[in-house]
Amino acid sequence: MTDTKTWARVKSPWVLHFNSGACNGCDIEIVALLTPKYDVERFGIKLEPSPRHADVLLVTGAVTQQCAERLKRVYDQMPQPKFVVAIGACACSGGVFEGNYNVLGGVDKVLPVSAYIPGCPPRPEAIIDGVVKLLNAINPPKKKKELAEAPKEAPKPEVAPVEEVKQ
Amino acid sequence: MSNAADMINLLESKFGDRIQIKQGTLEAGAIIANNGLHYDVLKAMIEADEKTGITAITGLDLGDKLGVYYHVHTAKPFFTIKAEVPKADPKIKTVVDIHPGALFHELEVTDLLGVVFVGNELQGHFVLSENWPDGVYPLRKDVDATKVQLVPTPEREANKNAEGRQVKIIIGPQHPALLEPEKFSVTVDGEIVTKVEPRIGYVHRGIEKTAESRSYLKDTYLVERVCGICNPIHAYAFVSTVEKILKPAVPERAEYLRVIALELNRLHSHLLTLGHAGLEIGYETLFQYFWRDREPIMDLIELTSGNRVYGSLITVGGVRRDLNPEHIPKIKSVLEDFRKKMPFYRKLYQEEPTLRLRMKDVGVLTREDALKLSVVGPVARGSGVDMDIRKTQPYSAYDEIPFKQIVYTEGDTWARMNVRMDEVEESINIIEYAVDHLPSGPVRVEVPRSVPEGEAVSSVEAPRGELFYYVKSNGTDMPERVKIRTPTFANIPSFLKTAIGESIADVPSNFVSLDPCFSCTDR
Repeated sequence: MTDTKTWARVKSPWVLHFNSGACNGCDIEIVALLTPKYDVERFGIKLEPSPRHADVLLVTGAVTQQCAERLKRVYDQMPQPKFVVAIGACACSGGVFEGNYNVLGGVDKVLPVSAYIPGCPPRPEAIIDGVVKLLNAINPPKKKKELAEAPKEAPKPEVAPVEEVKQ
Repeated sequence: MSNAADMINLLESKFGDRIQIKQGTLEAGAIIANNGLHYDVLKAMIEADEKTGITAITGLDLGDKLGVYYHVHTAKPFFTIKAEVPKADPKIKTVVDIHPGALFHELEVTDLLGVVFVGNELQGHFVLSENWPDGVYPLRKDVDATKVQLVPTPEREANKNAEGRQVKIIIGPQHPALLEPEKFSVTVDGEIVTKVEPRIGYVHRGIEKTAESRSYLKDTYLVERVCGICNPIHAYAFVSTVEKILKPAVPERAEYLRVIALELNRLHSHLLTLGHAGLEIGYETLFQYFWRDREPIMDLIELTSGNRVYGSLITVGGVRRDLNPEHIPKIKSVLEDFRKKMPFYRKLYQEEPTLRLRMKDVGVLTREDALKLSVVGPVARGSGVDMDIRKTQPYSAYDEIPFKQIVYTEGDTWARMNVRMDEVEESINIIEYAVDHLPSGPVRVEVPRSVPEGEAVSSVEAPRGELFYYVKSNGTDMPERVKIRTPTFANIPSFLKTAIGESIADVPSNFVSLDPCFSCTDR
């Protein structure tokens, strides 16, 4: 059952985008991911408006004072297991806004971060690469050798087979 | 009245020596009007010229006094009314009753500098966060804003429903219809909106304060990051303001290259909005179409500036890199390809029944209201106000390049989106003209690092409307004060007005037609 869940999550991660005080540069690149040129929906990645349905939280921006509490609240609403990806130089470390009075400087000041994607803003290809690396870390792909050694028969399902109903 | 001298004569005859007028400084002139006279001067200007409005209010710390500078635009000339109040008792009369567009500007000055506008007092915070202590103002020079002791966030009020049949609906800060965090409390009676209360400041990063502690070179990169969508125009506005004090001989080729960068940016920004509008009204195919065709333009931006988003092409004294002649055929072919698609998109926006149903007669802003609220850019031009800064006060190379000013008179969402649609074509024409008529020569001149004492204002046409910068220098390599008034900040009051009396379902369609960008709004 765990395998099935992991498989489902890795093959179709639903992501939630939260802007914690970004300049819109990274945000527009994230939206560009959905559009025909990059089209991440072919990988099963779907932008989800509700935190309650999301697996991955994509955070942009240097986390302003006003947003910090809200960011925590959005994170708390997400179901386990959940992953946070910091997108852009600001989300990674504060970037150009490091040291401003209204900015905390980095998502990791507030939340545990699973992946950092630097860049100002990172290219859409870099964001795809970062998310794929995160997914590979969750479920490491089998190497070629392992695949060759793997038994050819399909593994037995963990779930007990349902008995046929006698009529 | 379109002549600066007429206005100055009128003010001199009316106020005599109670005010001082310094002609030629800060564009048309600076008017020093203390002891409450700023109110009367502004009133006289509004009565003389219907296009008079407040572009921005700059608050400055002048030692033992606080300066309140009203930057006033008229049909053509640009004035600044300077008033000063003592720091110990910073009270000044509000001008909201004669010009409602000043509302947000005054609240912002109160929050950041502590000037009290009598008649328009601020409750709580406007742009600062809820956990910011009262009575500490970050823009004052004696405040070290990074060491301010924050207070615990006050308990949030439970979402009390408004009285009677009315229900309060909170949109934001995290909401599917908003890409960015900002909160709008919409009160509805049935389906009809009766009140909209905004709470901005979720993206406030304190750029104006930070700019005071960084050099002019670093500030060019900092102000670009006010907005990731329209970044070259921010760099240009800052650079042109500094250049007005420094007065370097910027090469003509650099000005043309700046125009190409600015127009490519306008092109991608308008396409982004035209597509985003489709997303907001539930027409996702339109969104995908526009964003598909926006990608070749992004490639052109990368080709000319070196990066998809932040090219940082424009710098004090010129541009950082020249255009490679080998790239010109590529630029032309991409633009030509896009021009071929224009009739299809234009037909969609003009005739498509779905779009017309969702946009026609939604969010109607009359010309009178547009002038009163001092809205800018496509919002003003959609309501029949012919104010395109590229035409009225040409900057860079715009006075040499022919293009049309787009004005629609309907004032609804449909008109505002069609202004953008037509401007896309104008932008293509401008880029093609600039590429064809590119002068030869250098692209940059050496400029000193320190800027002599002085002050200057600059107002330019960003994709979202008039962008205003005020820079005061003090002779060092760091500015004394940088004021940024973004177009989105000026346009939000119009949404608060037009949303009332309309269906809640029309709120996204109305709102997106302002081309909202909260990172600009909050800075």
